[in-house]
Amino acid sequence: MHSRIASFAILSSLFIFSSCRNADDTTPEDVIAETKVQITFDTQWEGGDFNLQEVYFDNFGNRIRVDSFKSYISMLSIVKEDGSEVLLHDFYLMDFLNPNTYTFTIEPGDYDGIRFGIGVPQDYNKDEDPAQYPNDHPLSVAGSQGMFWHWNTGYIFVKFEGKADTTGTEGAELLHSFSFHIGDDPYFRSFEQLDTPIHVEAGLTTAISVNIHVDQILATGGADDIDLATDAITHTSGNTVLAATFVNNFDASITVE
Amino acid sequence: MWRCAILFTCVSLFFSCEEYPVLKDETTNLKKPGHFPSIEFPEGNEPTKLRIELGRMLFYDNRLSADNSTNCSSCHVLSSAFTDGKKISAGLSSRSGKRNAPTLTNLAWMPYFMMEGGVPTLELQALAPLHDSLEMGFNMMLAIDKLRKDEKLVALARAAYQRDTIDPYVVTRALAAFQRSFISGDSRYDRFTFQDMKNQLNEQEILGMNLFFSDRTNCSTCHSGVFFSDFGFHNIGLYEFYTDNGRERVTYKLEDIGKFKTPTLRNVELTAPYMHDGSIATLEEVVEFYNSGGHPHANRDSLMQPLALNETEKKDIVAFLKSLTDWNFVQNKALLPLEE
Repeated sequence: MHSRIASFAILSSLFIFSSCRNADDTTPEDVIAETKVQITFDTQWEGGDFNLQEVYFDNFGNRIRVDSFKSYISMLSIVKEDGSEVLLHDFYLMDFLNPNTYTFTIEPGDYDGIRFGIGVPQDYNKDEDPAQYPNDHPLSVAGSQGMFWHWNTGYIFVKFEGKADTTGTEGAELLHSFSFHIGDDPYFRSFEQLDTPIHVEAGLTTAISVNIHVDQILATGGADDIDLATDAITHTSGNTVLAATFVNNFDASITVE
Repeated sequence: MWRCAILFTCVSLFFSCEEYPVLKDETTNLKKPGHFPSIEFPEGNEPTKLRIELGRMLFYDNRLSADNSTNCSSCHVLSSAFTDGKKISAGLSSRSGKRNAPTLTNLAWMPYFMMEGGVPTLELQALAPLHDSLEMGFNMMLAIDKLRKDEKLVALARAAYQRDTIDPYVVTRALAAFQRSFISGDSRYDRFTFQDMKNQLNEQEILGMNLFFSDRTNCSTCHSGVFFSDFGFHNIGLYEFYTDNGRERVTYKLEDIGKFKTPTLRNVELTAPYMHDGSIATLEEVVEFYNSGGHPHANRDSLMQPLALNETEKKDIVAFLKSLTDWNFVQNKALLPLEE
Protein backbone atom coordinates (compact mmCIF):
# COMPACT_ATOMS: atom_id res chain seq x y z
CA MET A 1 0.00 0.00 0.00
CA HIS A 2 2.81 2.32 0.94
CA SER A 3 4.59 1.62 -2.31
CA ARG A 4 1.40 2.57 -4.24
CA ILE A 5 1.18 5.88 -2.41
CA ALA A 6 4.85 6.52 -3.09
CA SER A 7 4.40 5.75 -6.79
CA PHE A 8 1.41 8.09 -6.99
CA ALA A 9 3.39 10.87 -5.30
CA ILE A 10 6.32 10.45 -7.72
CA LEU A 11 4.02 10.42 -10.78
CA SER A 12 2.16 13.50 -9.57
CA SER A 13 5.43 15.34 -9.02
CA LEU A 14 6.63 14.43 -12.45
CA PHE A 15 3.36 15.63 -14.00
CA ILE A 16 3.47 18.95 -12.16
CA PHE A 17 7.15 19.33 -12.99
CA SER A 18 6.65 18.72 -16.70
CA SER A 19 3.63 21.06 -16.76
CA CYS A 20 5.70 23.87 -15.29
CA ARG A 21 8.42 23.28 -17.87
CA ASN A 22 5.95 23.61 -20.81
CA ALA A 23 4.51 26.84 -19.53
CA ASP A 24 7.86 28.54 -19.15
CA ASP A 25 9.88 27.01 -21.90
CA THR A 26 8.22 27.73 -25.23
CA THR A 27 9.96 25.87 -28.02
CA PRO A 28 10.75 27.35 -31.48
CA GLU A 29 8.09 25.01 -32.86
CA ASP A 30 5.55 26.58 -30.53
CA VAL A 31 6.48 30.06 -31.75
CA ILE A 32 6.14 29.05 -35.37
CA ALA A 33 2.79 27.47 -34.62
CA GLU A 34 1.63 30.79 -33.21
CA THR A 35 3.02 32.88 -36.09
CA LYS A 36 0.17 33.66 -38.42
CA VAL A 37 -1.08 35.94 -41.14
CA GLN A 38 -4.72 36.85 -41.26
CA ILE A 39 -5.86 37.88 -44.73
CA THR A 40 -9.19 39.65 -45.12
CA PHE A 41 -10.81 40.21 -48.52
CA ASP A 42 -13.09 43.18 -48.13
CA THR A 43 -15.10 45.37 -50.48
CA GLN A 44 -15.08 49.17 -50.46
CA TRP A 45 -16.87 51.99 -52.24
CA GLU A 46 -14.99 55.27 -52.63
CA GLY A 47 -12.81 54.41 -49.64
CA GLY A 48 -15.67 53.53 -47.31
CA ASP A 49 -17.56 50.35 -46.59
CA PHE A 50 -19.39 48.66 -49.42
CA ASN A 51 -22.36 46.43 -48.72
CA LEU A 52 -24.55 44.34 -50.94
CA GLN A 53 -28.19 45.47 -51.11
CA GLU A 54 -27.26 49.11 -50.44
CA VAL A 55 -27.66 51.83 -53.08
CA TYR A 56 -24.66 53.81 -54.37
CA PHE A 57 -24.15 56.46 -57.05
CA ASP A 58 -21.66 55.42 -59.71
CA ASN A 59 -19.47 57.68 -61.81
CA PHE A 60 -22.17 58.07 -64.47
CA GLY A 61 -24.82 59.20 -62.01
CA ASN A 62 -26.55 55.82 -62.06
CA ARG A 63 -27.95 54.63 -58.75
CA ILE A 64 -26.93 51.02 -58.37
CA ARG A 65 -27.60 48.21 -55.94
CA VAL A 66 -25.44 45.10 -56.12
CA ASP A 67 -27.43 42.05 -55.03
CA SER A 68 -24.85 39.34 -55.60
CA PHE A 69 -21.08 39.52 -55.86
CA LYS A 70 -19.05 36.31 -55.79
CA SER A 71 -15.64 35.34 -57.05
CA TYR A 72 -13.28 32.41 -57.15
CA ILE A 73 -9.90 33.31 -55.67
CA SER A 74 -7.29 30.66 -56.37
CA MET A 75 -3.75 29.78 -55.32
CA LEU A 76 -3.53 32.45 -52.65
CA SER A 77 0.19 32.86 -51.97
CA ILE A 78 2.49 35.10 -49.98
CA VAL A 79 5.69 36.09 -51.75
CA LYS A 80 9.05 36.05 -49.96
CA GLU A 81 11.67 38.75 -50.44
CA ASP A 82 13.69 36.39 -52.65
CA GLY A 83 10.72 36.09 -55.01
CA SER A 84 9.76 32.57 -54.00
CA GLU A 85 6.17 32.08 -52.93
CA VAL A 86 4.41 30.13 -50.21
CA LEU A 87 1.04 28.71 -51.21
CA LEU A 88 -1.44 29.43 -48.44
CA HIS A 89 -4.59 27.91 -49.96
CA ASP A 90 -5.73 26.58 -53.34
CA PHE A 91 -9.37 27.59 -53.90
CA TYR A 92 -11.89 29.87 -52.29
CA LEU A 93 -15.32 30.78 -53.56
CA MET A 94 -15.87 34.15 -51.92
CA ASP A 95 -19.27 35.65 -51.38
CA PHE A 96 -18.79 39.36 -50.76
CA LEU A 97 -21.97 39.55 -48.78
CA ASN A 98 -19.52 39.50 -45.85
CA PRO A 99 -15.77 40.07 -45.43
CA ASN A 100 -13.85 36.89 -46.09
CA THR A 101 -11.14 36.31 -43.49
CA TYR A 102 -8.63 33.48 -43.50
CA THR A 103 -5.79 32.75 -41.10
CA PHE A 104 -2.63 30.83 -41.93
CA THR A 105 0.37 29.69 -39.97
CA ILE A 106 3.60 30.77 -41.67
CA GLU A 107 7.27 31.21 -40.90
CA PRO A 108 8.15 34.51 -39.29
CA GLY A 109 10.14 36.90 -41.46
CA ASP A 110 9.87 39.57 -44.10
CA TYR A 111 7.64 39.10 -47.11
CA ASP A 112 7.26 41.19 -50.22
CA GLY A 113 3.60 40.90 -51.18
CA ILE A 114 0.82 38.53 -52.10
CA ARG A 115 -0.38 36.85 -55.25
CA PHE A 116 -3.59 35.04 -56.28
CA GLY A 117 -5.70 34.16 -59.25
CA ILE A 118 -9.08 35.73 -59.99
CA GLY A 119 -10.95 32.70 -61.25
CA VAL A 120 -9.97 29.07 -61.66
CA PRO A 121 -6.70 28.29 -63.46
CA GLN A 122 -6.89 26.53 -66.81
CA ASP A 123 -5.72 23.16 -65.46
CA TYR A 124 -8.70 23.04 -63.12
CA ASN A 125 -11.30 24.68 -65.30
CA LYS A 126 -12.95 23.47 -68.49
CA ASP A 127 -12.11 19.79 -68.52
CA GLU A 128 -12.50 19.26 -64.80
CA ASP A 129 -15.47 17.37 -63.48
CA PRO A 130 -17.05 19.02 -60.42
CA ALA A 131 -18.58 15.66 -59.48
CA GLN A 132 -15.14 14.33 -58.58
CA TYR A 133 -14.76 16.70 -55.62
CA PRO A 134 -16.27 16.16 -52.16
CA ASN A 135 -19.31 18.33 -51.49
CA ASP A 136 -17.48 20.77 -49.23
CA HIS A 137 -14.88 21.61 -51.89
CA PRO A 138 -15.47 24.97 -53.65
CA LEU A 139 -15.08 23.32 -57.06
CA SER A 140 -17.64 20.57 -56.33
CA VAL A 141 -21.20 20.46 -57.65
CA ALA A 142 -22.51 21.57 -54.26
CA GLY A 143 -19.63 23.86 -53.32
CA SER A 144 -19.62 25.78 -56.60
CA GLN A 145 -23.06 27.19 -55.70
CA GLY A 146 -24.15 27.85 -59.25
CA MET A 147 -20.73 29.19 -60.30
CA PHE A 148 -20.36 26.50 -62.98
CA TRP A 149 -21.57 26.52 -66.56
CA HIS A 150 -23.01 23.19 -67.59
CA TRP A 151 -23.64 23.76 -71.31
CA ASN A 152 -20.10 25.03 -71.92
CA THR A 153 -18.25 23.55 -69.02
CA GLY A 154 -16.11 25.69 -66.79
CA TYR A 155 -16.40 27.79 -63.68
CA ILE A 156 -17.89 31.27 -63.53
CA PHE A 157 -14.94 33.21 -62.14
CA VAL A 158 -16.85 36.32 -61.07
CA LYS A 159 -20.57 36.96 -60.72
CA PHE A 160 -21.75 40.56 -60.21
CA GLU A 161 -25.48 41.19 -60.38
CA GLY A 162 -27.98 43.78 -59.31
CA LYS A 163 -30.34 46.56 -60.31
CA ALA A 164 -29.81 50.16 -61.28
CA ASP A 165 -31.69 53.29 -62.13
CA THR A 166 -30.01 54.82 -65.13
CA THR A 167 -32.59 57.55 -65.79
CA GLY A 168 -31.22 59.98 -63.24
CA THR A 169 -34.72 60.48 -61.83
CA GLU A 170 -34.69 61.09 -58.12
CA GLY A 171 -36.56 58.41 -56.21
CA ALA A 172 -37.05 56.23 -59.27
CA GLU A 173 -37.22 52.50 -58.77
CA LEU A 174 -34.16 50.46 -59.68
CA LEU A 175 -35.54 48.59 -62.67
CA HIS A 176 -32.51 48.21 -64.91
CA SER A 177 -30.87 44.79 -64.36
CA PHE A 178 -27.16 44.30 -64.70
CA SER A 179 -25.46 40.93 -64.77
CA PHE A 180 -21.81 40.11 -65.27
CA HIS A 181 -20.87 36.42 -65.36
CA ILE A 182 -17.20 36.19 -66.26
CA GLY A 183 -15.51 32.87 -66.94
CA ASP A 184 -13.47 30.85 -69.43
CA ASP A 185 -9.69 30.62 -69.63
CA PRO A 186 -8.94 33.88 -71.49
CA TYR A 187 -10.62 35.82 -68.68
CA PHE A 188 -8.61 34.35 -65.81
CA ARG A 189 -6.46 37.05 -64.21
CA SER A 190 -3.38 36.74 -62.01
CA PHE A 191 -3.26 39.42 -59.35
CA GLU A 192 -0.08 40.28 -57.54
CA GLN A 193 1.03 43.19 -55.44
CA LEU A 194 4.73 43.08 -54.69
CA ASP A 195 7.01 45.67 -53.08
CA THR A 196 4.59 45.71 -50.19
CA PRO A 197 6.73 44.87 -47.16
CA ILE A 198 4.95 42.49 -44.81
CA HIS A 199 6.83 41.85 -41.59
CA VAL A 200 5.58 38.74 -39.86
CA GLU A 201 6.65 38.82 -36.22
CA ALA A 202 7.34 35.49 -34.55
CA GLY A 203 4.52 34.37 -32.29
CA LEU A 204 2.11 37.07 -33.47
CA THR A 205 -0.70 37.38 -35.99
CA THR A 206 -0.08 39.87 -38.81
CA ALA A 207 -3.16 41.28 -40.52
CA ILE A 208 -3.27 41.83 -44.28
CA SER A 209 -6.19 43.53 -45.95
CA VAL A 210 -7.08 42.87 -49.59
CA ASN A 211 -9.46 45.61 -50.63
CA ILE A 212 -11.67 45.36 -53.68
CA HIS A 213 -12.72 48.88 -54.66
CA VAL A 214 -16.07 48.13 -56.24
CA ASP A 215 -16.54 51.70 -57.49
CA GLN A 216 -13.34 51.34 -59.51
CA ILE A 217 -14.58 48.21 -61.26
CA LEU A 218 -17.14 50.46 -62.95
CA ALA A 219 -15.15 53.70 -63.09
CA THR A 220 -11.47 53.69 -63.89
CA GLY A 221 -11.39 57.29 -65.01
CA GLY A 222 -10.52 56.21 -68.50
CA ALA A 223 -11.80 54.42 -71.58
CA ASP A 224 -12.53 51.28 -69.58
CA ASP A 225 -15.39 52.78 -67.61
CA ILE A 226 -18.52 50.65 -67.59
CA ASP A 227 -21.76 52.61 -67.88
CA LEU A 228 -24.51 50.27 -66.73
CA ALA A 229 -26.99 52.21 -68.86
CA THR A 230 -25.41 50.79 -71.99
CA ASP A 231 -23.13 47.96 -70.85
CA ALA A 232 -25.18 46.02 -68.36
CA ILE A 233 -24.97 42.37 -69.34
CA THR A 234 -22.31 39.92 -70.29
CA HIS A 235 -22.22 36.23 -69.61
CA THR A 236 -18.82 36.27 -71.33
CA SER A 237 -20.34 34.60 -74.39
CA GLY A 238 -22.29 37.32 -76.11
CA ASN A 239 -20.04 40.23 -75.10
CA THR A 240 -16.45 39.18 -74.62
CA VAL A 241 -15.16 42.77 -74.84
CA LEU A 242 -17.25 43.79 -71.85
CA ALA A 243 -16.23 40.60 -70.03
CA ALA A 244 -12.55 41.46 -70.50
CA THR A 245 -13.11 45.06 -69.43
CA PHE A 246 -14.91 43.96 -66.28
CA VAL A 247 -12.30 41.45 -65.17
CA ASN A 248 -9.44 43.82 -66.02
CA ASN A 249 -11.07 46.53 -63.94
CA PHE A 250 -11.71 44.06 -61.13
CA ASP A 251 -8.04 43.08 -61.14
CA ALA A 252 -6.94 46.73 -61.19
CA SER A 253 -9.31 47.71 -58.40
CA ILE A 254 -7.59 45.53 -55.80
CA THR A 255 -5.13 46.95 -53.30
CA VAL A 256 -3.26 45.22 -50.49
CA GLU A 257 -2.47 46.89 -47.18
CA MET B 1 -39.27 -6.08 -17.80
CA TRP B 2 -37.79 -9.14 -19.53
CA ARG B 3 -40.76 -9.32 -21.85
CA CYS B 4 -40.18 -5.70 -22.92
CA ALA B 5 -36.52 -6.43 -23.65
CA ILE B 6 -37.36 -9.46 -25.76
CA LEU B 7 -40.01 -7.50 -27.65
CA PHE B 8 -37.56 -4.63 -28.29
CA THR B 9 -34.92 -7.07 -29.59
CA CYS B 10 -37.42 -8.71 -31.95
CA VAL B 11 -38.56 -5.34 -33.30
CA SER B 12 -34.92 -4.29 -33.85
CA LEU B 13 -34.12 -7.49 -35.69
CA PHE B 14 -37.20 -7.09 -37.85
CA PHE B 15 -36.17 -3.61 -38.94
CA SER B 16 -32.57 -4.73 -39.55
CA CYS B 17 -33.84 -7.38 -41.93
CA GLU B 18 -35.80 -4.71 -43.83
CA GLU B 19 -32.61 -2.93 -44.97
CA TYR B 20 -31.92 -3.25 -48.66
CA PRO B 21 -29.66 -6.24 -49.32
CA VAL B 22 -26.05 -5.68 -50.34
CA LEU B 23 -25.77 -6.01 -54.12
CA LYS B 24 -22.95 -7.59 -56.07
CA ASP B 25 -21.73 -6.06 -59.32
CA GLU B 26 -20.01 -7.63 -62.31
CA THR B 27 -18.29 -6.24 -65.39
CA THR B 28 -20.09 -6.47 -68.68
CA ASN B 29 -19.22 -5.92 -72.31
CA LEU B 30 -21.20 -3.59 -74.51
CA LYS B 31 -22.26 -5.35 -77.68
CA LYS B 32 -21.04 -3.39 -80.68
CA PRO B 33 -21.04 -4.10 -84.40
CA GLY B 34 -17.78 -5.49 -85.75
CA HIS B 35 -17.33 -2.52 -88.07
CA PHE B 36 -17.38 -0.04 -85.18
CA PRO B 37 -14.09 0.92 -83.52
CA SER B 38 -13.34 -0.19 -79.97
CA ILE B 39 -14.63 1.95 -77.11
CA GLU B 40 -12.35 3.82 -74.77
CA PHE B 41 -14.08 4.01 -71.43
CA PRO B 42 -13.18 6.72 -68.93
CA GLU B 43 -11.26 5.48 -65.93
CA GLY B 44 -13.62 4.50 -63.16
CA ASN B 45 -16.65 4.19 -65.37
CA GLU B 46 -16.05 1.00 -67.29
CA PRO B 47 -19.37 -0.75 -67.92
CA THR B 48 -20.77 -3.01 -65.24
CA LYS B 49 -24.17 -4.57 -64.90
CA LEU B 50 -25.20 -2.42 -61.95
CA ARG B 51 -23.79 0.85 -63.31
CA ILE B 52 -25.92 0.45 -66.42
CA GLU B 53 -28.94 -0.62 -64.36
CA LEU B 54 -28.59 2.39 -62.07
CA GLY B 55 -28.19 4.72 -65.06
CA ARG B 56 -31.25 3.17 -66.66
CA MET B 57 -33.30 3.87 -63.54
CA LEU B 58 -32.05 7.46 -63.35
CA PHE B 59 -32.65 8.12 -67.06
CA TYR B 60 -36.35 7.49 -66.50
CA ASP B 61 -36.57 9.05 -63.02
CA ASN B 62 -38.79 12.14 -62.65
CA ARG B 63 -37.11 13.00 -59.36
CA LEU B 64 -34.32 14.55 -61.40
CA SER B 65 -36.64 17.47 -62.23
CA ALA B 66 -37.77 20.23 -59.87
CA ASP B 67 -41.47 19.33 -59.93
CA ASN B 68 -41.14 15.59 -60.55
CA SER B 69 -42.63 16.04 -64.02
CA THR B 70 -39.70 15.49 -66.33
CA ASN B 71 -36.95 12.95 -66.93
CA CYS B 72 -34.43 12.35 -69.69
CA SER B 73 -36.93 10.35 -71.71
CA SER B 74 -39.33 13.31 -71.80
CA CYS B 75 -37.23 14.60 -74.72
CA HIS B 76 -35.37 11.42 -75.63
CA VAL B 77 -37.84 8.68 -76.57
CA LEU B 78 -36.43 5.34 -77.67
CA SER B 79 -38.99 4.72 -80.42
CA SER B 80 -37.88 8.00 -82.03
CA ALA B 81 -34.19 7.09 -81.71
CA PHE B 82 -34.15 9.08 -78.48
CA THR B 83 -35.68 12.26 -79.94
CA ASP B 84 -39.18 13.58 -79.25
CA GLY B 85 -40.65 14.51 -82.63
CA LYS B 86 -41.04 18.13 -81.58
CA LYS B 87 -39.60 21.16 -83.28
CA ILE B 88 -38.34 22.53 -79.97
CA SER B 89 -38.44 20.34 -76.91
CA ALA B 90 -40.55 21.33 -73.94
CA GLY B 91 -39.01 21.14 -70.50
CA LEU B 92 -40.21 21.62 -66.96
CA SER B 93 -43.75 23.07 -66.63
CA SER B 94 -44.06 22.99 -70.45
CA ARG B 95 -41.38 25.68 -70.77
CA SER B 96 -40.13 25.79 -74.32
CA GLY B 97 -36.47 25.00 -74.80
CA LYS B 98 -34.29 26.54 -77.46
CA ARG B 99 -33.29 23.62 -79.62
CA ASN B 100 -34.46 20.43 -81.21
CA ALA B 101 -33.73 17.35 -79.08
CA PRO B 102 -30.70 15.53 -80.55
CA THR B 103 -30.72 11.78 -81.12
CA LEU B 104 -28.76 9.77 -78.55
CA THR B 105 -26.91 7.06 -80.41
CA ASN B 106 -23.33 5.85 -80.39
CA LEU B 107 -22.44 8.36 -77.70
CA ALA B 108 -19.55 6.16 -76.58
CA TRP B 109 -17.57 7.43 -79.56
CA MET B 110 -18.58 11.06 -79.46
CA PRO B 111 -15.63 13.36 -78.66
CA TYR B 112 -17.73 16.18 -77.17
CA PHE B 113 -21.34 17.01 -76.51
CA MET B 114 -23.96 19.72 -77.11
CA MET B 115 -24.46 21.22 -80.55
CA GLU B 116 -21.71 23.80 -80.01
CA GLY B 117 -19.39 21.17 -78.54
CA GLY B 118 -18.90 22.81 -75.15
CA VAL B 119 -19.03 19.69 -72.98
CA PRO B 120 -16.02 17.35 -73.09
CA THR B 121 -17.44 14.15 -71.56
CA LEU B 122 -20.67 12.22 -71.39
CA GLU B 123 -20.39 12.27 -67.59
CA LEU B 124 -20.34 16.08 -67.51
CA GLN B 125 -23.11 16.28 -70.09
CA ALA B 126 -25.55 14.85 -67.53
CA LEU B 127 -25.33 18.09 -65.56
CA ALA B 128 -26.47 20.28 -68.45
CA PRO B 129 -30.17 19.41 -68.89
CA LEU B 130 -30.63 18.87 -65.17
CA HIS B 131 -29.60 22.45 -64.38
CA ASP B 132 -31.07 24.13 -67.49
CA SER B 133 -34.07 26.17 -66.38
CA LEU B 134 -35.74 25.39 -69.73
CA GLU B 135 -35.21 21.64 -69.42
CA MET B 136 -35.32 19.87 -66.05
CA GLY B 137 -34.85 23.15 -64.19
CA PHE B 138 -33.32 21.65 -61.09
CA ASN B 139 -30.23 21.44 -58.98
CA MET B 140 -28.21 18.26 -58.69
CA MET B 141 -27.91 18.48 -54.92
CA LEU B 142 -31.67 18.90 -54.45
CA ALA B 143 -32.28 15.97 -56.78
CA ILE B 144 -29.86 13.90 -54.74
CA ASP B 145 -31.75 14.74 -51.54
CA LYS B 146 -34.76 13.05 -53.10
CA LEU B 147 -32.83 10.10 -54.50
CA ARG B 148 -31.13 9.32 -51.17
CA LYS B 149 -34.48 8.31 -49.73
CA ASP B 150 -34.60 5.44 -52.21
CA GLU B 151 -32.90 2.43 -50.59
CA LYS B 152 -32.55 0.56 -53.84
CA LEU B 153 -30.75 3.45 -55.56
CA VAL B 154 -28.44 3.87 -52.59
CA ALA B 155 -27.67 0.14 -52.58
CA LEU B 156 -26.95 0.29 -56.31
CA ALA B 157 -24.67 3.32 -55.82
CA ARG B 158 -22.70 1.49 -53.16
CA ALA B 159 -22.28 -1.68 -55.18
CA ALA B 160 -21.64 -0.01 -58.55
CA TYR B 161 -19.32 2.81 -57.51
CA GLN B 162 -18.24 1.93 -53.95
CA ARG B 163 -19.62 5.21 -52.65
CA ASP B 164 -21.35 5.68 -49.30
CA THR B 165 -24.51 6.89 -50.97
CA ILE B 166 -25.90 8.59 -54.08
CA ASP B 167 -23.90 11.71 -54.93
CA PRO B 168 -23.12 13.78 -58.06
CA TYR B 169 -20.30 11.40 -58.96
CA VAL B 170 -22.67 8.43 -59.00
CA VAL B 171 -25.48 10.18 -60.89
CA THR B 172 -23.24 11.55 -63.64
CA ARG B 173 -21.31 8.28 -64.04
CA ALA B 174 -24.36 6.04 -64.02
CA LEU B 175 -26.26 8.13 -66.57
CA ALA B 176 -23.19 8.08 -68.82
CA ALA B 177 -22.75 4.32 -68.36
CA PHE B 178 -26.34 3.70 -69.46
CA GLN B 179 -26.14 6.10 -72.40
CA ARG B 180 -22.93 4.49 -73.66
CA SER B 181 -25.01 1.37 -74.19
CA PHE B 182 -27.09 3.20 -76.85
CA ILE B 183 -25.28 1.50 -79.72
CA SER B 184 -26.91 1.52 -83.11
CA GLY B 185 -25.25 -0.16 -86.08
CA ASP B 186 -27.62 -2.79 -87.37
CA SER B 187 -29.46 -1.02 -90.17
CA ARG B 188 -30.09 -2.50 -93.59
CA TYR B 189 -27.26 -0.29 -94.84
CA ASP B 190 -24.90 -1.91 -92.30
CA ARG B 191 -25.93 -5.41 -93.33
CA PHE B 192 -25.56 -4.54 -97.02
CA THR B 193 -22.17 -2.87 -96.60
CA PHE B 194 -20.46 -4.72 -93.80
CA GLN B 195 -22.11 -8.14 -93.82
CA ASP B 196 -22.30 -8.59 -97.57
CA MET B 197 -26.08 -9.07 -97.45
CA LYS B 198 -26.79 -7.71 -100.91
CA ASN B 199 -30.54 -8.20 -100.70
CA GLN B 200 -30.83 -5.61 -97.92
CA LEU B 201 -30.93 -2.55 -100.20
CA ASN B 202 -33.14 -2.20 -103.25
CA GLU B 203 -32.14 -0.53 -106.49
CA GLN B 204 -33.45 2.90 -105.53
CA GLU B 205 -31.63 2.83 -102.18
CA ILE B 206 -28.38 1.84 -103.89
CA LEU B 207 -28.76 4.73 -106.35
CA GLY B 208 -29.36 7.04 -103.40
CA MET B 209 -26.36 5.61 -101.54
CA ASN B 210 -24.12 6.17 -104.55
CA LEU B 211 -25.31 9.77 -104.79
CA PHE B 212 -24.82 10.26 -101.05
CA PHE B 213 -21.20 9.11 -101.21
CA SER B 214 -20.45 10.93 -104.49
CA ASP B 215 -18.43 14.09 -105.09
CA ARG B 216 -21.53 15.49 -106.74
CA THR B 217 -23.42 15.87 -103.44
CA ASN B 218 -20.53 15.76 -100.95
CA CYS B 219 -23.00 14.60 -98.27
CA SER B 220 -20.47 12.13 -96.92
CA THR B 221 -17.73 14.71 -96.54
CA CYS B 222 -19.33 15.83 -93.29
CA HIS B 223 -21.68 12.89 -92.65
CA SER B 224 -18.72 10.56 -92.79
CA GLY B 225 -17.53 7.25 -91.39
CA VAL B 226 -19.57 4.61 -89.62
CA PHE B 227 -21.20 7.26 -87.44
CA PHE B 228 -22.19 9.44 -90.39
CA SER B 229 -20.55 12.45 -88.72
CA ASP B 230 -17.14 14.07 -88.83
CA PHE B 231 -17.98 15.59 -85.42
CA GLY B 232 -16.93 18.89 -86.95
CA PHE B 233 -18.81 22.20 -86.92
CA HIS B 234 -20.34 23.60 -90.08
CA ASN B 235 -22.49 26.48 -91.20
CA ILE B 236 -24.78 25.05 -93.86
CA GLY B 237 -26.45 28.36 -94.76
CA LEU B 238 -29.63 27.55 -92.92
CA TYR B 239 -30.13 31.30 -92.32
CA GLU B 240 -28.72 34.60 -93.43
CA PHE B 241 -29.03 35.78 -89.84
CA TYR B 242 -28.80 33.35 -86.96
CA THR B 243 -30.58 33.88 -83.66
CA ASP B 244 -28.65 30.92 -82.22
CA ASN B 245 -24.95 31.42 -82.97
CA GLY B 246 -23.96 27.79 -82.32
CA ARG B 247 -20.22 27.19 -82.08
CA GLU B 248 -19.46 30.91 -81.67
CA ARG B 249 -21.00 30.74 -78.20
CA VAL B 250 -18.02 28.63 -77.15
CA THR B 251 -15.17 30.03 -79.23
CA TYR B 252 -16.32 33.70 -79.42
CA LYS B 253 -15.06 33.73 -83.01
CA LEU B 254 -17.16 35.47 -85.64
CA GLU B 255 -16.18 32.82 -88.17
CA ASP B 256 -17.99 30.23 -86.02
CA ILE B 257 -21.39 31.93 -86.12
CA GLY B 258 -24.02 29.52 -87.40
CA LYS B 259 -21.81 26.45 -87.09
CA PHE B 260 -23.26 23.38 -85.41
CA LYS B 261 -21.86 19.93 -84.80
CA THR B 262 -22.57 17.52 -87.66
CA PRO B 263 -25.35 15.24 -86.40
CA THR B 264 -25.28 11.53 -87.12
CA LEU B 265 -27.69 10.34 -89.80
CA ARG B 266 -28.28 6.97 -88.22
CA ASN B 267 -32.03 6.46 -87.65
CA VAL B 268 -32.62 9.83 -89.33
CA GLU B 269 -35.97 8.58 -90.60
CA LEU B 270 -37.18 8.63 -86.97
CA THR B 271 -35.68 11.91 -85.79
CA ALA B 272 -37.82 14.54 -87.56
CA PRO B 273 -38.03 17.49 -87.48
CA TYR B 274 -34.50 18.42 -88.50
CA MET B 275 -31.78 21.04 -87.95
CA HIS B 276 -30.71 22.53 -84.62
CA ASP B 277 -34.02 24.34 -84.30
CA GLY B 278 -36.30 21.72 -85.85
CA SER B 279 -37.11 24.16 -88.64
CA ILE B 280 -37.30 21.57 -91.43
CA ALA B 281 -40.13 19.10 -91.03
CA THR B 282 -39.35 16.20 -93.36
CA LEU B 283 -36.44 14.39 -94.95
CA GLU B 284 -37.74 15.40 -98.37
CA GLU B 285 -37.53 19.06 -97.37
CA VAL B 286 -34.03 18.56 -95.96
CA VAL B 287 -32.82 17.15 -99.28
CA GLU B 288 -34.59 20.02 -101.06
CA PHE B 289 -32.75 22.48 -98.80
CA TYR B 290 -29.35 20.96 -99.57
CA ASN B 291 -30.27 20.86 -103.26
CA SER B 292 -30.77 24.65 -103.10
CA GLY B 293 -27.29 25.26 -101.67
CA GLY B 294 -28.64 27.12 -98.64
CA HIS B 295 -28.84 30.80 -97.83
CA PRO B 296 -25.89 33.13 -98.25
CA HIS B 297 -23.74 33.58 -95.15
CA ALA B 298 -20.11 34.61 -94.69
CA ASN B 299 -19.43 31.37 -92.79
CA ARG B 300 -21.34 29.04 -95.08
CA ASP B 301 -19.33 25.92 -95.82
CA SER B 302 -17.83 26.00 -99.30
CA LEU B 303 -19.36 22.58 -99.99
CA MET B 304 -22.82 24.11 -99.75
CA GLN B 305 -23.58 24.64 -103.44
CA PRO B 306 -26.71 24.03 -105.53
CA LEU B 307 -26.70 20.33 -106.42
CA ALA B 308 -29.11 20.30 -109.38
CA LEU B 309 -30.62 17.00 -108.30
CA ASN B 310 -33.69 15.95 -110.24
CA GLU B 311 -36.86 14.70 -108.56
CA THR B 312 -35.89 11.04 -108.93
CA GLU B 313 -32.45 11.62 -107.46
CA LYS B 314 -33.90 13.45 -104.47
CA LYS B 315 -36.24 10.53 -103.82
CA ASP B 316 -33.34 8.10 -104.16
CA ILE B 317 -31.37 9.92 -101.48
CA VAL B 318 -34.34 9.95 -99.13
CA ALA B 319 -34.80 6.23 -99.73
CA PHE B 320 -31.16 5.62 -98.87
CA LEU B 321 -31.42 7.69 -95.70
CA LYS B 322 -34.33 5.53 -94.59
CA SER B 323 -32.15 2.45 -94.95
CA LEU B 324 -30.09 3.78 -92.02
CA THR B 325 -32.84 2.92 -89.55
CA ASP B 326 -31.86 0.32 -86.97
CA TRP B 327 -35.17 -1.22 -85.94
CA ASN B 328 -33.55 -3.54 -83.42
CA PHE B 329 -32.08 -0.52 -81.66
CA VAL B 330 -35.34 1.40 -81.32
CA GLN B 331 -37.13 -1.70 -80.08
CA ASN B 332 -34.41 -2.78 -77.64
CA LYS B 333 -36.21 -3.46 -74.36
CA ALA B 334 -32.94 -3.13 -72.43
CA LEU B 335 -33.10 0.59 -73.18
CA LEU B 336 -36.65 1.02 -71.89
CA PRO B 337 -37.52 1.60 -68.21
CA LEU B 338 -36.93 -1.35 -65.92
CA GLU B 339 -40.09 -3.30 -65.30
CA GLU B 340 -40.77 -3.33 -61.57
